[in-house]
Amino acid sequence: MLIDHPLLGPRDAQEFVVLGDAGLIDRPDRQAGDAARRFHEYLHLRNNPAGEHRELWFHEQGDRSWLVVTRDTLTHEILRVELARDVAVARGRDR
Amino acid sequence: MAEVALTARTPLDGYAGTFGGVTLVEAAGLSLVSAAVPNGGGDAFAAALAEGFGASRPSTGESVPGDRLGARILGMQPDQMFILFEAPDPDRAAEAVSSALGPAAYVTDQSDSWAMLRIEGRGVRAALERICMLDLDDAAFPQGRVARTVMEHLAVIILRDGADSFLLMTPRSSARSFLHAVELSLANVSE
Repeated sequence: MLIDHPLLGPRDAQEFVVLGDAGLIDRPDRQAGDAARRFHEYLHLRNNPAGEHRELWFHEQGDRSWLVVTRDTLTHEILRVELARDVAVARGRDR
Repeated sequence: MAEVALTARTPLDGYAGTFGGVTLVEAAGLSLVSAAVPNGGGDAFAAALAEGFGASRPSTGESVPGDRLGARILGMQPDQMFILFEAPDPDRAAEAVSSALGPAAYVTDQSDSWAMLRIEGRGVRAALERICMLDLDDAAFPQGRVARTVMEHLAVIILRDGADSFLLMTPRSSARSFLHAVELSLANVSE
């Protein structure tokens, strides 16, 4: 499998490790009144779609970028690769 | 008290080998210092690099020559460069970079953690393409291009420093295993 890194071009999947659902970017506010419930959901509850899935991948044996890879779990086709930093900033995080 | 003189040893004890037209030689005498960009300090870092090394900031995967100490600045990841150079005093390599860049970079001496091999000669790519997953074609990986990757399950930084010449850097602790992999690949293609 090749992952088309936004900065480096196609790289073999051996260079990467997968973390899991890209929802991990949206860490809940620990000060919120319902923080316990939201952290429970954040840690334990995942959708398991048959189809398009967004995942966090780490380019460990490369430029150490975190990527958000959008992948079809039925066909293994990779639809989109973005820098996780760009995704986080677009969602209002400072970095 | 007895006088004890310690002799520095390089990671591969000065290894040199020839396989057909390709030479594989340990590159000694080079220092490697990482320079990390402080969060939000990109502009100050670029200015310091221009001032200290006369170089523009390389993007990830590129390298640019500096104007002193035979330096080459390698773009390793978005906010980290490696500076490969000939330190006047190898024991004070980090200080040399620190004094050139000032407070605009976080500097760490990496020299003793890496073993360096230069592989050079016609046919060098025939040997490398059997262990390296990257496309090393002239168009995809021209001179000056650099990448961190894996060969034989071992971490490697590969820098193309000539038409038929590559500098390979690998962690010192597994350098012998890496050397074996490169030697074997060279032997396989140099019948």
